[in-house]
Amino acid sequence: MFKDLSIKNKLYMGFGSIVAIILILLGVAYNSFTRLSEANSWDRHTMEVLIEIDKIHNSILQIQVETRGYLLSGNEISLNPETDEMAVLTQHTQKAILMTSDNKPQSERFRKIDQLARTWVKDWIDPLIDKRRALGNTPGAADTVARMIPPGGSPGILQANKMLDDATAEENRLLAERSARSASLQETMLLTLSLGGVLCIVLALGISYILAKAILGPLNNLTDAVGRIAGGEQGARAAIVSGDELGKVTNEFNRMAQTIQDNQANELAATNTLRAKVDSLLEVVSKAASGDLTGKVSITGSDAIGQLGNGLAKMFENLRSLLNNVQKAGIQVTTSATEIAASARQQEATGIEQAQTSVEILSTTKEISANTSQLLKTMEDATAVADYTTNATAEAQNNLKRMDSTMQHMVSATDSINAKLAALSEKASNINSVLITITKVADQTNILSLNAAIEAEKAGEAGRGFSVVATEIRRLADQTSVSTWDIEQMLKEMQSAVSASVMGMDKFSEEIRRSVGEVRQVAEQLSSVMDQVQKLTPQFDAVLQGMQSQAVGASQISDTMMQLNDATQQTVESLKATSEAVHQLQYAAGDLQSSVSNFAVTI
Amino acid sequence: MKVLVFHIGRDRYGLPLAAIVRVLPLLELKQLPLTPDYVAGLMDLHGAPVPVIDLSRLAGLAPAAAQFDTRIVIVDYRAPDGSKHALGLMASRVRGIADIEEQQWEDSGVETAPFLGQVASDADGIVQLVELEQLLPADVRALLFQPRSAP
Repeated sequence: MFKDLSIKNKLYMGFGSIVAIILILLGVAYNSFTRLSEANSWDRHTMEVLIEIDKIHNSILQIQVETRGYLLSGNEISLNPETDEMAVLTQHTQKAILMTSDNKPQSERFRKIDQLARTWVKDWIDPLIDKRRALGNTPGAADTVARMIPPGGSPGILQANKMLDDATAEENRLLAERSARSASLQETMLLTLSLGGVLCIVLALGISYILAKAILGPLNNLTDAVGRIAGGEQGARAAIVSGDELGKVTNEFNRMAQTIQDNQANELAATNTLRAKVDSLLEVVSKAASGDLTGKVSITGSDAIGQLGNGLAKMFENLRSLLNNVQKAGIQVTTSATEIAASARQQEATGIEQAQTSVEILSTTKEISANTSQLLKTMEDATAVADYTTNATAEAQNNLKRMDSTMQHMVSATDSINAKLAALSEKASNINSVLITITKVADQTNILSLNAAIEAEKAGEAGRGFSVVATEIRRLADQTSVSTWDIEQMLKEMQSAVSASVMGMDKFSEEIRRSVGEVRQVAEQLSSVMDQVQKLTPQFDAVLQGMQSQAVGASQISDTMMQLNDATQQTVESLKATSEAVHQLQYAAGDLQSSVSNFAVTI
Repeated sequence: MKVLVFHIGRDRYGLPLAAIVRVLPLLELKQLPLTPDYVAGLMDLHGAPVPVIDLSRLAGLAPAAAQFDTRIVIVDYRAPDGSKHALGLMASRVRGIADIEEQQWEDSGVETAPFLGQVASDADGIVQLVELEQLLPADVRALLFQPRSAP
């Protein structure tokens, strides 16, 4: 419970208990002082009573002295008239009575002394003085009076003196008693003060210790934890031993330490991941540095190292493809160089061939010139043939026109035959319907004959003749049926023949129509042929002119071929040079291939 | 004995003239649902309804073709209980009447359809008699000839 209090409350409680103990101690001391001072006052009172007793004694002695003086001298001055000794005595006695009012036997004692003193003065002193005065200056007066005084004094005053002694003894006893009580009080007070002081100090120390422990315990705990964390122990935590502000501070501190530890663990993990990624990247890169590009970058992601990995992967991919391409290109260049060398050689050979060919062309051109003049003669013959063709074509055209009109006649004749055949077909249909009727009648007759035979059978002997008739009728009917069937067959054949004829005629007329069209087409073509042939003559002229210019061109070709020959020689020269260059290129390509093959690119 | 000769499939069969009432050409028939398939339908004989049996289908062959010599033969059908009914038989290729002597008929000696009876031979081959009494099984007979309810 004390642990859960706040520090402020702890401090209040500790100091409050110390103050309370001091207050209690002060109260006890005050009480003791009061009692001690009371005891002292009682002491003084007893001393005063003793003084009063002495004064009373003195007064009695004074009275006795004055009386004796007067008795001896008779001188009035001895009596000391300015002071009334008796009044002083009474006064002191009364004061003593008043002072000892708390002590009954003592005050009673004083009252008795007072009475005895009065009695003593009245019975003894006054008669003595009066007797002396009466004797006056007579000799022996003093002696006479002195004989009057009993030896040992008067009994009253003796008793009074004795009582005074008693009172003194009583007061002395009281004084001793009160002094002893006062001393014991003093001792008690001293003891109380010293014990209280010690207790107070002990309590204050205890409270201070508890307070310090309550405040310093968690603080030390916390400090210890801080020290351990500072010394590198990540898992160090302060134990929460109290519920006050320090407890809260400890709790927050623990949370902070946990957070720091977590953060450090995360950081360490991240660093390790990063290191692993970097190591894997380094491995690939070092492989690549030694020429082996087959390493695969497995690091990807959106963070910086991931992007680096992506970039490296892309770069390696590009490098691989580049080297691949270079290798391929090297091979290709070698192949191409070889091909070029081959073609250069071929061209060289071709150039030589060309040179030979141009010589041949030269001779051919000369032959062309000769041929052209022959052709000219032939062309003239062709012109004559064309004229003849024109005349023949015109004749053919006329014949065709006659043929066309004949065919028109044939078409109209066919149409009329078709119409007649249609009429024939219709008649055949009519015959057919008649035949159907006959068939029906024959059928009915058949049934009739059957029924007639049945009836004849039922009629028995009487129907015998009728039965014969019925059989005859049935035979007739059957014959009719057979004949009808024959006619039907013939009719059907006829109808099919007619339709075949119609179809044939249709086909024939179609053929004629087509022939007419063809004849017309032929006629048109013939006329166009005529036109073409007529056009031929000027074209032949043009051909003649062209041939002449051809002859000229042939000689020009001859000249050009000479020049071409020279050029070909030059080409052959330059081709040799090209061959040389290509050989060099081949060597260079071989070098390139061998240097590129140092790189491993295939994964 | 005179018989009406007709065909069932390729074979010739005979129907005694005594049982025949009349021979009719092929007519339009009214179909009779929920009857055996060999019941060809119902015809109208002078106002009286007469059921018609297709003999070809009765013999388990294809239906009689609608040819010009396919006929409907009206016969007097005698039920075993003695009642008489008119019954139409659809017969194909009705050839005509044949007169065959009584002694020529012989039992076929083969167990076939119950309505086929004795056989006889002539110039064209074998003719087998059709027994009208055995023509219809009892259930079909009951189906076709319902006893007339009293008016």
